[in-house]
Amino acid sequence: MDEKKEKRDDLPEVYVDDLLIAIKYFTDEHEAHLQLIDPHVCVACEKPCVFFCPVGAYQAQEDGHIIIAFQSCIECGSCRLMCPYSNVNWKYPRGGFGVAYKFG
Amino acid sequence: MDNKTPSRNGKIQFDVIVVGAGLAGSAAAAVAARSGLKVALIERGQVPGGKNFFGGALYTHSLEEIYPDFWERKPPLERPVTEAGFWILSKNGLVNMTIRGGHLDRQPIDSYVALRAKFDQWWAEQAAKTGAFIIPKTTVVDFIREPGGKVIGVITDRPQGEVYAPVTIVCEGVNNLLTQKLGLAKHDLKPKAVALGVKQLISLPADTINARFGLPDKSHGLAITVIGDVTMGLTGLGFIYTGEESLSVGLGVTLDVLAKERVRPYELLQRYLRHPLIAPLVAGGRLMEYGAHLIPEGGWRHMPRLYTDGVMVAGDAATMVNALHWEGTNMAIIAGKEAAQTAIEAHQRHDFSAASLSAYRERLKQRFILQDLYQYRNLSHFLEKHPHFMDVYPNFLNDAMGLFFTGYGKPKRELYADILRSLTQRRSLLQAAGDMLAFGRTVIGI
Repeated sequence: MDEKKEKRDDLPEVYVDDLLIAIKYFTDEHEAHLQLIDPHVCVACEKPCVFFCPVGAYQAQEDGHIIIAFQSCIECGSCRLMCPYSNVNWKYPRGGFGVAYKFG
Repeated sequence: MDNKTPSRNGKIQFDVIVVGAGLAGSAAAAVAARSGLKVALIERGQVPGGKNFFGGALYTHSLEEIYPDFWERKPPLERPVTEAGFWILSKNGLVNMTIRGGHLDRQPIDSYVALRAKFDQWWAEQAAKTGAFIIPKTTVVDFIREPGGKVIGVITDRPQGEVYAPVTIVCEGVNNLLTQKLGLAKHDLKPKAVALGVKQLISLPADTINARFGLPDKSHGLAITVIGDVTMGLTGLGFIYTGEESLSVGLGVTLDVLAKERVRPYELLQRYLRHPLIAPLVAGGRLMEYGAHLIPEGGWRHMPRLYTDGVMVAGDAATMVNALHWEGTNMAIIAGKEAAQTAIEAHQRHDFSAASLSAYRERLKQRFILQDLYQYRNLSHFLEKHPHFMDVYPNFLNDAMGLFFTGYGKPKRELYADILRSLTQRRSLLQAAGDMLAFGRTVIGI
């Protein structure tokens, strides 16, 4: 319905880094726990990951490829379940690394 | 592994392995350790709780089942929930339907607001005090099996990281990688069976929270489910919980809906925080933390098998969530306990086969856990098929209440006609009656 369309327009633009600054991480500098299985698959995809990822870790490049900022990942698993082509090799970070919520 | 670790023939050997030091895991570890069994509690976070994030409230009836003296152990709980209910939002209105006093004033109060990173750390410490051996910063990646398939231990991501035990309790959380490795879950959870929850934890002085929410002091608190404009009509719910000096404000939307509508969850949350009736409540607050977590709301219909030879599964990994009543933490704790009891009995019988561990499921059937999950088995499917509960009815309620209390000198017959029209413009009376009947059937579980 039109009502929905209008509502969509009142979504505020949020700079996700303003939120990420409040999350603590132990970043694994040696191993990326998220990887695309075949980066070329993303080019023809509608890329819903760019939207649903709650930390904006999936960024579309101008050439249609996707870059994953795995350092921002909070390990929720949405991309593991939702990638239309199951193109994410999703692992937990090595023990001790990754998101470390202070409050939860 | 350090030299305090129990070992037998050079192998690291325990009586019970618990994977994941969340609510289910630390409960299972404590119950098993208390009976004298050697328990390894393996946690992938730096410390237990570091990976955990929720709305929400914990229920003291479940804490008490594990530790009758839990109050003396000084749990890091926030405010008791002395007011609970629904806020039904339209674009610029709010129908408030909450209860305070009455059943919510009955001592001891059952529901307490909590923050999981703080709480789970304490919860795991209690398990350690009971005798469980916590192995942090360690991710379990697979199982060790006998030729027949029986699980006799786990493989971790540490060098020489094999840990052996005749029985393992998997409390790995919503990302059920290990449960799938066991074949207990046949595939990933479907995106329509999970909600993606996002939350901002907002710091405010206790006095400000008291004043804004009409609470006499910080021994009073709210747990509010927010429906309607909060999700822009998408299948999901919002929430507000009052901590001592913080507000947990967030929402959960079914993952496949979020993806299909191409909505950024943190923008939806920001929109909620800017709602004209929400913004004044959070004004001036400082962002303490942001986070997100999947909630396995599909429940019964997406539940894995709960046991096989040498293994049981509990908590989110077993989709133990009741989305309507915001329960899950209590089910996790009690399921962890029942799994541990089953493990204790299995040790007495020296039988860790699936047949022996099937007692776990029987125990859950005797409790509210499987009973409730079965009763609400159609709920997530119902909400998927009836999105009107997310926008038509919340908007109608706001209009109906609004019209009822603003007469503008109109004859009441006309007023009631207006109210009726504000429904029938959106959904016919027949459809509405059908929706209500369907909702009733879903909740009763017939």
